[in-house]
Amino acid sequence: MAPPPVYNQRSPSPSQPSGKGEVSDLKMQLRQLAGSRAPGTDDAKRDLFKKVISYMTIGIDVSSVFSEMVMCSATSDIVLKKMCYLYVGNYAKHNPDLSLLTINFLQRDCKDEDPMIRGLALRSLCSLRVANLVEYLVGPLGSGLKDSNNYVRMVAAMGVLKLYHISASTCVDADFPTTLKHLMLDDPDAQVVANCLSALQEIWSLEASKSEEASREREGLLSKPVVYYLLNRIKEFNEWAQCIVLELVAKYVPSDSNDIFDIMNLLEDRLQHANGAVVLATIKVFLHLTLSMTDVHQQVYERIKAPLLTLMSSGSPEQSYAVLSHLHLLVMRAPYIFSSDYKNFYCQYNEPFYVKKLKLEMLTAVANESNTYEIVTELCEYAANVDIPIARESIRAVGKIALQQYDVNAIVDRLLQFLEMEKDYVTAETLVLVKDLLRKYPQWSHDCIAVVGNISSKNVQEPKAKAALIWMLGEYAQDMQDAPYILESLIENWDEEHSAEVRLHLLSAVMKCFLRRPPETQKALGDALASGLADFHQDVHDRALLYYRLLQYDVSVAERVVNPPKQAVSVFADTQSSEIKDRIFDEFNSLSVVYQKPSYMFTDKEHRGPFAFSEELGSLSIGVESADNIVTAQRVEANDKDLLLGTSEKEESRGPGNNGSAYNAPAYDGSPALTAAPQTQLDLVSLDHTPAASVSSTSLAIDDLLGLGLPVASTPAPPPPPALELNPKAVLDPNSFQQKWRQLPISISQEISISPQGITALTTPQALIRHMQGQSIHCMASGGQAPNFKFFFFAQKAKESSNYLVECIINTSASKAQLKIKADDQSTSEAFSSLFQSALSKFGLP
Amino acid sequence: MMQCIFLLSDSGEVMLEKQLTGHRVDRSICAWFWEQSIAQGDSFKFMPVIASPTHYIFQVFREGITFLACTQVEMPPLMATEFLCRVADVLSDYLGGLNEDLIKDNFVIVYELLDEMIDNGFPLTTEPNILREMIAPPNIVSKMLSVVTGTSSNVSNTLPVATASCVPWRKMDPKNTSNEVYVDLVEEMDAIISRDGTLVKCEIYGEVQVNSHLSGLPDLTLSFANASILNDVRFHPCVRLRPWESQQILSFVPPDGQFKLMSYRVKKLKNIPIYVKPQLSSDSGMCRISVLVGIKNDPRKPIDSITVEFQLPPCVLSANLTPNHGTVNILASKTCSWSIGRLPKDKAPSLSGTLVLAAGLERLPVFPTFQVGFRVMGIALSGLQMDKLDFKNLPSRPYKGFRGLTRAGEYQVRS
Repeated sequence: MAPPPVYNQRSPSPSQPSGKGEVSDLKMQLRQLAGSRAPGTDDAKRDLFKKVISYMTIGIDVSSVFSEMVMCSATSDIVLKKMCYLYVGNYAKHNPDLSLLTINFLQRDCKDEDPMIRGLALRSLCSLRVANLVEYLVGPLGSGLKDSNNYVRMVAAMGVLKLYHISASTCVDADFPTTLKHLMLDDPDAQVVANCLSALQEIWSLEASKSEEASREREGLLSKPVVYYLLNRIKEFNEWAQCIVLELVAKYVPSDSNDIFDIMNLLEDRLQHANGAVVLATIKVFLHLTLSMTDVHQQVYERIKAPLLTLMSSGSPEQSYAVLSHLHLLVMRAPYIFSSDYKNFYCQYNEPFYVKKLKLEMLTAVANESNTYEIVTELCEYAANVDIPIARESIRAVGKIALQQYDVNAIVDRLLQFLEMEKDYVTAETLVLVKDLLRKYPQWSHDCIAVVGNISSKNVQEPKAKAALIWMLGEYAQDMQDAPYILESLIENWDEEHSAEVRLHLLSAVMKCFLRRPPETQKALGDALASGLADFHQDVHDRALLYYRLLQYDVSVAERVVNPPKQAVSVFADTQSSEIKDRIFDEFNSLSVVYQKPSYMFTDKEHRGPFAFSEELGSLSIGVESADNIVTAQRVEANDKDLLLGTSEKEESRGPGNNGSAYNAPAYDGSPALTAAPQTQLDLVSLDHTPAASVSSTSLAIDDLLGLGLPVASTPAPPPPPALELNPKAVLDPNSFQQKWRQLPISISQEISISPQGITALTTPQALIRHMQGQSIHCMASGGQAPNFKFFFFAQKAKESSNYLVECIINTSASKAQLKIKADDQSTSEAFSSLFQSALSKFGLP
Repeated sequence: MMQCIFLLSDSGEVMLEKQLTGHRVDRSICAWFWEQSIAQGDSFKFMPVIASPTHYIFQVFREGITFLACTQVEMPPLMATEFLCRVADVLSDYLGGLNEDLIKDNFVIVYELLDEMIDNGFPLTTEPNILREMIAPPNIVSKMLSVVTGTSSNVSNTLPVATASCVPWRKMDPKNTSNEVYVDLVEEMDAIISRDGTLVKCEIYGEVQVNSHLSGLPDLTLSFANASILNDVRFHPCVRLRPWESQQILSFVPPDGQFKLMSYRVKKLKNIPIYVKPQLSSDSGMCRISVLVGIKNDPRKPIDSITVEFQLPPCVLSANLTPNHGTVNILASKTCSWSIGRLPKDKAPSLSGTLVLAAGLERLPVFPTFQVGFRVMGIALSGLQMDKLDFKNLPSRPYKGFRGLTRAGEYQVRS
């Protein structure tokens, strides 16, 4: 057994008692009281108990007074009892031997004449959760289930589930599930029924994999008689129990349309319930029941509109957020239903950021011919807002609406007005949007360029915006009088330009400009190519070299490559495939909706099933390391909305140590993408459609933009050149990883040393994980803190599903890494090993 | 289903930890949460759903207290959020407010309450009436009682009978010395008014609050003169839905004491009671500001507690504001608060003054939004009117009282 947890080690605040002295004092005092029967003992005990519990609450370890607490537990005072139960429940798991002491008094209390005490004692008994005490549980639970009082039965039903989690076999052997089933179908008390239902759902789901019978029983819960029985009693249940029942009904497959209408009629008034959770659960039932009936499905949308809008506008911001997430999902499926209610999504200025952001997304989604003007007017209000992040989001929203083709004329005017506001962040966001607009509506170039030409490049600092401005300078070089000179001055400051993306754009732009206005640009081009060739960034260097050689070879070929006739982009790649949207829709009223991803994309490792917990993996990845994991996830998620902004931002989120990163930039320039062009397009479209991996794949897919396949292969001469190609979008679920790891023999085990740069870069496991992802090697799990880190990686061959598994233990103080490689295909494990090592050796290099 | 509930103080200290399942959630998750919220600032601190490395965390923030619920499994997010909101409501109801000291002083009660509100991660009951019968609130009366009678338990010795009755919100047979029922219409007006004075959006969120002190099992019906204006309604579980659907009549057996019978929305209103006209004009580093307030559509009832609040943009160095009525306070957070109270008869209140802008700024780059507060007693501005309240099943006719009240909710004027 693990030692009792010592909580206060993390951040002992000076005001808190250190604990030791006080605890031993308490121990003494408790001991004195234990046997006493003098009047007033209970009051004294109560004070002491309170102290013990308050120490426990602030995180001081008071497990040492366990036996004294148990000795003092003989009392008729119910508050004392409750405190004692609370204490025992907290420490029993770590003192299994001492817990035996408590069994006696708990069992006695289970036979008390007061039902409340019976119930409380039974609840505490089941909450001890000590495996070797389960034998004492069966008796009290059995009688609890038959108790005459509903409170006790309700506790007992839940107790069965607790017992199941401690020892499944004991629970099944005692035939408790069957008892629960009878109780569920017969008990007069609704709460008992609800508890039986939730216990049975969980038990049978977990048992289903082991026994046929359990899986039949699980199906049985969804049978018509059971569902109807529960539905008919729905009004007896309290709000929370209703949620559980409704969740079950949502899984029910109706036999015919009468069935559907019966259920909907029965549940219609639930839409008016004061509890938002009930309303949402009901909506889920309605939507799922009517999926196959298009007409009714539309009517359902109409029907649920008002309750949802009220729920959104009346609750606390936290509730609004959850509701808005669902609205967002619905509006994606049926934008028209809310198009007349767009005013509900206007932001109040003091709403929290997360609510405003979702509302902006809603406004973007509901915009159509009739309301675009008003929505954009409202969005322009926010653009002038004090709140800068919201101002930015609003401008992006305006841009997105413009791309939806409604009333483009007016919107372009607004965007150009933004540029006149002379606020840096507004200008920056707008430039990016104008660039996107021009790609879709080249006919507006005349108006836009006139305004853009007036912007001083000195006022534009953000890399994204700068890149956009430079792109426009190159693309419309013949229309902008000053283009060559602006580019020239930018090139003069080459060394101060920190963003590789901007430098790449600068190269392409000056190239385009040169091809149109050679005499004016020749000098600038020469300077740019020279600086580019000397650039330490691999991609910038490569592109400069490519241009240089192209020009050397034949200028007309260069013209064809750099300035091909462009087609306007008609549709930007949608970021989420409809398949994924459907998946999320299936998971309505769950976390998936909040994250806008189906659960398999974001739920970590093994927490997928409704009832599967994980402790092991939970403890594997800890602390700071995973913190930035989330940050990345959020950022990438935020960007998923729009591909154009997305590609450039994703680069940032990938962090240092990934030299494949800058390849995303030229994808829509079409500049160096010689033969790869068709493939580029393909990849652009499929970018986010890969349902495979979550964050990793989105950033990885970018590497494929150039159709280079594998970034490793693109970097110059990795020693030795690996003949092996890896699939950059490999997926492997944790279970099969574990299985494979167990089954496969170790094909290579060796120790390698790590470069000093690598060691310095390895501040958190996350840094290496990101780097390796860039090399098509994915992380399954990681953990540890300096100096010891442990990783499990996996990779897949490019064209077949042959896996490589790696355990990598890195000791930073010794600069060594211990590798264990296992492979489906043993013959290639050498090749993979060298690939892995070369990938590792590049970690930390700029 | 939730695995653990934590209550954090506003300094991030864990005040209370309630493990709900056998899968213990280590306290270190709170430390993680707190580090994140400091590192990422407010927008993270208040995100309702967060993915930590090991758990999903739901949070609700009330009066400086952070309520966290952790889970590792998929569950309806609104269920967790809604539950935490109820926990906050129940605690603040029991303790007479919410703050660090109250919770620390009464943590035993908080534990007891949580024990009855949730078991093994599934919410049980959050109905205050039922909880009140299981665990007595720590009020002065019960403290007095305990001194006098010597029994100092705050737990009632009987189980609530209501849990077994078919009207779970009502005690079996409450005996009230008084025989009265009060019905209040409480409305909040949300409006956005653009800088040229047009009404961008105006709607009312209203509640019918009932305070009932009746004995036995009374059966009440309440009807409205113009129920058709209601946009979306939601009811207390005691309301029977059929009569509402057929005739728009509220028929119900009320819980004892104060409760929210129904809530509703009324959209697309045209009339607002007061106007606020801000004018800002900038010139060479100075901004002249003037704000006028007056009656727009007279509700024919006195409007009081009028306040106008706005946030000075960060680029304002100093402000010199003088009202011709009421008082102006500028708080450290650069919030200007002008409290007017009632509108004076003889003049229209106005606020005028100058703002000094940071060096290098010619014009004010952003315009503040003005938050307006007011209260109109005696009227529901949505125009909703109660028609009549009838009783069945009562030995004697009780005293009936009706009231209306409208407050400003999010009443915002842009400048």
